[in-house]
Amino acid sequence: METALLLNTSMLLTLTIILTPMFLPLLLKNFQSSPQTLTTTIKTAFLVSLMPTTLFMYSGLDSITSYWEWKFTMNFKIPLSFKMDQYSMLFFPIALFVTWSILQFAMSYMASDPHITKFFSYLTAFLIAMLTLTLANNMFLLFIGWEGVGIMSFLLISWWHGRAEANTAALQAVLYNRIGDIGLIMSMAWLASTLNSWEMQQMFSPMETPTLPLLGLILAATGKSAQFGLHPWLPAAMEGPTPVSALLHSSTMVVAGIFLLIRSHPLLTNNKTALTLCLCLGAMSTLFAATCALTQNDIKKIIAFSTSSQLGLMMVTIGLNLPQLAFLHISTHAFFKAMLFLCSGSIIHSLNGEQDIRKMGGLQKTLPTTTSCLTVGNMALMGTPFLAGFFSKDLIIENLNTSYLNTWALLLTLLATTFTATYSLRMTLLVQAESTRTPTMTPMNENSPQTLNPITRLALGSTVAGLLITSFMTPTQTPPMTMPMLTKTAAIIATTLGLIFALELANMTHTMTHPKQNNLLNFSSTLGYFNILTHRLSSTNLLYTGQKIATHLTDLSWYKKMGPEGLADLQLMASKASTTLHKGLIKAYLSSSALSILVILLSL
Amino acid sequence: FILMLSLTLGTMITITSNHWVTAWAGLEINTLAVIPLISKSHHPRAIEAATKYFLTQATASALMLFSSMTNAWSSGQWDITQLTNPPSCLLLTAAIAIKLGLTPFHFWFPEVLQGSSLTTALLLSTAMKFPPTTILLLTSHSLNPTLLSTMAIMSIALGGWMGLNQTQTRKILAFSSISHLGWMTIIITYNPKLTLLTFYLYSLMTTSIFLSMNSTNTLKLSTLMTSWTKAPMLNTTLMLTLLSLAGLPPLTGFLPKWLIIQELTKQEMTTTATTISMLSLLGLFFYLRLTYCSTITLPPNSSNKMKQWSIKKPVNTLTPTL
Repeated sequence: METALLLNTSMLLTLTIILTPMFLPLLLKNFQSSPQTLTTTIKTAFLVSLMPTTLFMYSGLDSITSYWEWKFTMNFKIPLSFKMDQYSMLFFPIALFVTWSILQFAMSYMASDPHITKFFSYLTAFLIAMLTLTLANNMFLLFIGWEGVGIMSFLLISWWHGRAEANTAALQAVLYNRIGDIGLIMSMAWLASTLNSWEMQQMFSPMETPTLPLLGLILAATGKSAQFGLHPWLPAAMEGPTPVSALLHSSTMVVAGIFLLIRSHPLLTNNKTALTLCLCLGAMSTLFAATCALTQNDIKKIIAFSTSSQLGLMMVTIGLNLPQLAFLHISTHAFFKAMLFLCSGSIIHSLNGEQDIRKMGGLQKTLPTTTSCLTVGNMALMGTPFLAGFFSKDLIIENLNTSYLNTWALLLTLLATTFTATYSLRMTLLVQAESTRTPTMTPMNENSPQTLNPITRLALGSTVAGLLITSFMTPTQTPPMTMPMLTKTAAIIATTLGLIFALELANMTHTMTHPKQNNLLNFSSTLGYFNILTHRLSSTNLLYTGQKIATHLTDLSWYKKMGPEGLADLQLMASKASTTLHKGLIKAYLSSSALSILVILLSL
Repeated sequence: FILMLSLTLGTMITITSNHWVTAWAGLEINTLAVIPLISKSHHPRAIEAATKYFLTQATASALMLFSSMTNAWSSGQWDITQLTNPPSCLLLTAAIAIKLGLTPFHFWFPEVLQGSSLTTALLLSTAMKFPPTTILLLTSHSLNPTLLSTMAIMSIALGGWMGLNQTQTRKILAFSSISHLGWMTIIITYNPKLTLLTFYLYSLMTTSIFLSMNSTNTLKLSTLMTSWTKAPMLNTTLMLTLLSLAGLPPLTGFLPKWLIIQELTKQEMTTTATTISMLSLLGLFFYLRLTYCSTITLPPNSSNKMKQWSIKKPVNTLTPTL
């Protein structure tokens, strides 16, 4: 009994700690939060949140707490309820750890920014929204968190709002998210009308759910997690500062969509169509993003595309009916992706704002710690054995190979794994190795502990996190244990192939003069022509239809032809016609009378 | 004077008759008495009007006699209320329609009204309609409702459409008369009392209009515009009376329309009721135009001199407003 009490209390304590710096300045006059206070708060929250997690690990105790019900109508109540199960328990410390590291890094990265406190408050607000989403036990609270992260993403991407590209990117993010929200609201409406509740527990009935709400959920995940079709916002979101990219667009926000699917997994289990859709969509996304990452020259965009690719992989896992494995990948991915972003932020600052990898090189000698962590992160991303990424990624590919599902999805995923290795190695080589291509006077600096400590901390996490989490998470489905040797090593072989390709290509660049344009290169560098095709077409269509409706439909046809003026014209016509009949000839009158009488007599 | 006496006599005979021949006789006396009234002014238009009137009314009376004869031949009696032979019912309906001026037999009415002076026109529109209406009432139980409804709807429509294009006040009033006759005939087979009510109210309203126009001598729309100089109070009441003819709610003219529509809906003839209401909107338009010309606007030039004043002052112009 006291375990449950301790669990709940510590969880609430964590939440309260995070909320404190947001509300205290409003209550006390002389208390102003500063970046330092916010960072310390998050660190405390992390340490406190370790307690419920360990409690959970040792007792396996799930808990659902309901407070204060909102009586919406007589029989539809929306309680404020938190669900503390394996997912939220594990997510809390990971998210808080990553956020702590990022906030510490941001103290040095954004030191020259006059509104740094506002920046930190935005980040904290985002964190609160994300945690609400994770803790939610009903769709209503989840939706609040969902929208919260969307809004904070908008505000943070357009942090440097004087820059036109930043504003466009933020708008793009909001629009694509909104399209996904349509799906979410549709599912919520279906749930409210069919099951009469938005609670997670009520959603889990063993029968087969119709495809419509599941399509809505998949649409929501596509929008939020940048699957193929609603993906352009993620690379564009790199306009925001690096801490923003690290927090939102690598670890936490973009996994919100996947998290939604994990939470509503029992709904998806029985519906083969939805599962296949997830599988194919994920495979498509992962390969597409990996292809685009091959020819990118901006370091942040490469990492953004790699995020996109890993999200596709998570979607594939959902399609394989393995939510736990998807969550494992979310957790491990958070570590190394955040670290990659922070490293790239440090490199960018050192090179005085240079983001193009063609203008970097030989940084291993000048920024040793940062580049070592970069290498570690890339290797974890590729799935090097026994680093963090291995535990999740390898398991996913093993399961994919031993399942009875779509071969095409399997092929695409393997190909994407190869590409992952290729672009990661490309990035590493161009940044660190060989001779320097940077300008001569650069403020190379990695001496401040505020920059280094987060990065090294996350590197430590990337190494051990996989092992830690898998040791303590009880799998709900038995993982495949025996498989042929080729299948077992498929992931490693694919990755090695990718590495070899990358080395070959790097060697080729020494002898080439000027790359000729060919179709493949064009496809990859313009992100598959997707942006160019869709953005202009859809907006012009919409505006044109609007104009047509306003002028032609409303003004012309309804007012002039069919409405009042049309009626007036009709009457005028009738009046003129009948006037010409009355000419005054009595013979005509009498004959018409006679004719009428004849007609009457004959017909009646 | 003697013409007035003959008119009264003819009307009385027709109203109180029980035999077809007496009815016919009364109608003939009326016709003959009115002809010299129409052609009193010796104007060619008046003579033409008189001729047309004579021709049409004579046809009508002949038809009526014919129908009563066929009825007598088939049923053996001359009672007005016992009209059993179907063709004779139809013929009688046609004859009365010609006498009253229902579509498609209405062509004579505007020209005759235009050719006569205003007082004669008044007489033609009110008093002369009374005997044929009585005959219709007496025989209403045996008449064909389809035919009557068709003629009525067509009358209302045509009265509306034709009235839109007119500038002579007498012709406008002729078409308004045709329209109101339509309203009267549509309800005659279902509730003859409403027909009578409509007729009374209509004659009251038309009388006041005609008399008002008589005292200000307005024969055209343009004359109507300067009528405010001659008798301003009369002008105001003219406006109210016109709107009452149109059938606007707080005024008296709304009453028959409302009751007729109610009666029609009781008979499940809602489409008919809707149609005739829509068509009387056309009439509303030209009544409004008359109102607009007479009362609401002022003409560009003002004339302060009084023109002719007739000796008779109009009576009961205020009653339609009650």
